[in-house]
Amino acid sequence: MTLPWPTLLPLIFAGLMGLAILIYVILDGFDLGIGILFAAAEDAEQDTMIAAIGPFWDANETWLVLAVGLLLVAFPLAHGTILTALYIPVFLLLVGLILRGVAFDFRAKVPAGRKHRWNRIFFLGSVIASLAQGYMLGIYVLGLDVGLGGIAFGALVALCLAAAYAAMGAAWVIYKTEGELQKKAVLWLRRALVLTALGMVAVSLATPLASPRIFDKWFVWPAMIYLSPLPILSAVLFLWLWRQTFHLPKADDRHALTPFLTLAAIFTLGFAGLAWSFYPFVVPDRLTIWQAASAPESLAIILAGTVVVLPIIIFYSFYAYRVFGGKATDLTYD
Amino acid sequence: MDPLMLSRIQFGANISFHILFPAITIALGWVLLLFKLRYNATGDSAWMRAYFTWVKVFALSFAMGVVSGVTMSFQFGTNWPGYMETVGNIAGPLLAYEVLTAFFLEAAFLGIMLFGFRRVSNRIHTLATVLVAGGTTLSAFWIIALNSWMQTPVGFEMRDGVAHATDWWAIVFNPSMPYRLVHMLLASGLTVSFLIAGLSALRYLYGDRSESMWKALRTGVFTAAVLIPVQIFAGDQHGLNTLEHQPQKIAAMEANWNTGPNVPLILFALPDEAARENRFELTIPDGASLILRHSASGVVPGLNDYAGDHPPVFPVFWGFRIMVGVGVLMLVVSWSAAFFLRRRHSLPKPLALVMVPMALSGWLATLAGWYTTEIGRQPWLVTGVLKTADAVGPVAGSQVALSLAVYLILYALLLIAYLGVLVHLALKAAKDGDASPLPGVMNAALSQPAAK
Ligand code: HDD
Ligand code: HEM
Ligand code: HEM
Repeated sequence: MTLPWPTLLPLIFAGLMGLAILIYVILDGFDLGIGILFAAAEDAEQDTMIAAIGPFWDANETWLVLAVGLLLVAFPLAHGTILTALYIPVFLLLVGLILRGVAFDFRAKVPAGRKHRWNRIFFLGSVIASLAQGYMLGIYVLGLDVGLGGIAFGALVALCLAAAYAAMGAAWVIYKTEGELQKKAVLWLRRALVLTALGMVAVSLATPLASPRIFDKWFVWPAMIYLSPLPILSAVLFLWLWRQTFHLPKADDRHALTPFLTLAAIFTLGFAGLAWSFYPFVVPDRLTIWQAASAPESLAIILAGTVVVLPIIIFYSFYAYRVFGGKATDLTYD
Repeated sequence: MDPLMLSRIQFGANISFHILFPAITIALGWVLLLFKLRYNATGDSAWMRAYFTWVKVFALSFAMGVVSGVTMSFQFGTNWPGYMETVGNIAGPLLAYEVLTAFFLEAAFLGIMLFGFRRVSNRIHTLATVLVAGGTTLSAFWIIALNSWMQTPVGFEMRDGVAHATDWWAIVFNPSMPYRLVHMLLASGLTVSFLIAGLSALRYLYGDRSESMWKALRTGVFTAAVLIPVQIFAGDQHGLNTLEHQPQKIAAMEANWNTGPNVPLILFALPDEAARENRFELTIPDGASLILRHSASGVVPGLNDYAGDHPPVFPVFWGFRIMVGVGVLMLVVSWSAAFFLRRRHSLPKPLALVMVPMALSGWLATLAGWYTTEIGRQPWLVTGVLKTADAVGPVAGSQVALSLAVYLILYALLLIAYLGVLVHLALKAAKDGDASPLPGVMNAALSQPAAK
């Protein structure tokens, strides 16, 4: 049997790209969230929070480079269309990422008096990057429509995604710290969850309403049955997590990682819903993954490398997380 | 405003900013490994002190490299969609392999290298340092392969206006690739040597005579003294390769208008493209023929053979002169410093004063070199395949103008902050001397071996 590679390859790459985006959103989500929460934390707490993400943020951001890279190399036509349509938000995202990435390092190396300035820049960068990502998601969901309604919707999603990241950040702080800061983080988590829920509902409703094609994909019998676990499970996880926030932190620090894992699961479910809505399009209602794909020879040579390298990457990423496992302590070079 | 011109300026500004930091991290990783290995072999904690001072510079440079690099990878889509649409089948896999094999490796082990000294065994920490240094070098390999392919494209065929790969080996190891890679790696080595030597000279001027200062100073000076002649030789070979594959670029680099023998080497001139001649020329007779053809009667290509299809002469000519001029200066300074350090075991103050601004000479030469290379390829983006003007995206000029203005302000501020921190770190090290505590090394916390 010969496999239909020209059909299969774009599909595989769409899957890989989706995976990279999802991993990015979860991993850099907590980095950005901690940046957002910086505004609510005291000086000493800020140092601990940085210590909780310092060794990881660079590797986390690399998933974004991979996602954009895959869009670039596997779907060059879509890459140009999407990124030129989102020129300004992408630009803001980059400015945000630049500010927050360098602030990480500067705040630890400048003379003591300047540290505050870089803490503020770290907060600012994280907020700009999160808002820009949310805005891009909103516009993309509406099919890259940038009318007035689109902008308003984009702004709503921007706020909600920032809140979702703050929730991730709080959950990571709960996992990596103890004492007062941990208790504070539980409160942060509860507040951020409200806006997160609002955002997920808004996106879930807007997507089918904005596109009749997507509406038809969700609200037909019997697909409705197969799809129902997605919203139901998300809602259940949400409520459960909400109730948990009244019982955390527990004795002996049990379940400290649970809020983070629950949020990651919710993100994954939401992402699966979006993927189902947009499949088979990369540029909503304009370009399918097959129309936008590069030549099969080129995809094949990338795939060969990916199959070998991706498991290795995942393996050593786990190793790095293990080396810095446990509660965050001061980061020192020596 | 014209989006093409603005996009070009923006791309040039972004990549110029980006390359400053890889130019440091590529070689600094290996220098840190050297410090580490010397410590492992001798147990002398001054090596670890030098390591901890420079690992901070590495961390900061790495962060600057990462954030500006992420900007680069979006630029292809936001400003040059035509690029990926035409040569995406070739550029794509090369970029993908860079991310997969190099970026993840660096990023994952960077945390262990920076903060893991007391968390993993000494051997694993050394291994992490090797992997990070290897990762930066590997990313240089892939990106230079792509850039060289854009200069001297081979191993592909055009179908319906889109490039398709026919021979990956030929694409990666295209004719100019080995020269460019060697030249760039040496450039990085020189940038770092002069940076280390220059900041150590600053410490010296502030009265620091600590063992860690001497160790860093000697490492910087001797590495530079060894690398610079090699670089000059490699640069000459690179030029011969360019003569073979891109003669119009050589003609622009030499500002030579007419093809012929006995072409002089121009030391100074103001090329005037409208009049197609040079003003205020100062020349060495037969010089260019001798360098490029190794004989006074050697024929050197002239710009008039390529009227309408050659790069702008002024920036290419001057970019090349600045690079070579800095190279010669590097030779003089590093050899004199090496002489004094070896024979007199001291550093005269005037020489130390010269070495401080020379800390940034590597940056200047690297930028000048890249401007020569890249502007020398114009009007082509991929030689003979795609013109720069045909790759630009449909973004409005006002949007590009806005983003460009913000990037420029941001980069200027970050550069000031970066240089400020370098000086601050050097002065702090000068003040601490060998007296500051090194908890991880001294107390043998966790798994570290005790310093003897
Ligand atoms: C000769 C070296 C060289 C050159 C010419 C370039 N780069 Fe680079 N780049 C590196 C050498 C490097 C590096 C040393 O490997 C960096 C610095 C820090 C790092 O992570 O890797 C890097 C970082 C870096 C990153 C961040 C990686 C991460 O997240 O870890 C990206 C996305 C790019 N680069 C992309 C580009 C693009 C699109 C370029 C050209 C158009 C480019 N680089 C030119
Ligand atoms: C790292 C050092 C580099 C520097 C300092 C540099 C600098 C420049 C400059 C100044 C230009 C503008 C030329 C002009 O328009 O007249 C340019 C163009 C360009 N370079 Fe590079 N370059 C570098 C490396 C690379 C690499 C590695 C790639 C590709 C992988 C690349 C891709 C391009 C592209 C796509 C353009 C076209 C856009 C334009 O003409 O402005 N460059 N570069
Ligand atoms: C004095 C001796 C030198 C000579 C003869 C020389 C020669 C050259 C030549 C011929 C090119 C290629 C232009 C092209 O065809 O594209 C080049 C590019 C370049 N040079 Fe040099 N160079 C010298 C010194 C240096 C130094 C000291 C540095 C940096 C520390 C440096 C950094 C670069 C870089 C980064 C490029 C562009 C990338 C590349 O094409 O490899 N060069 N040089």
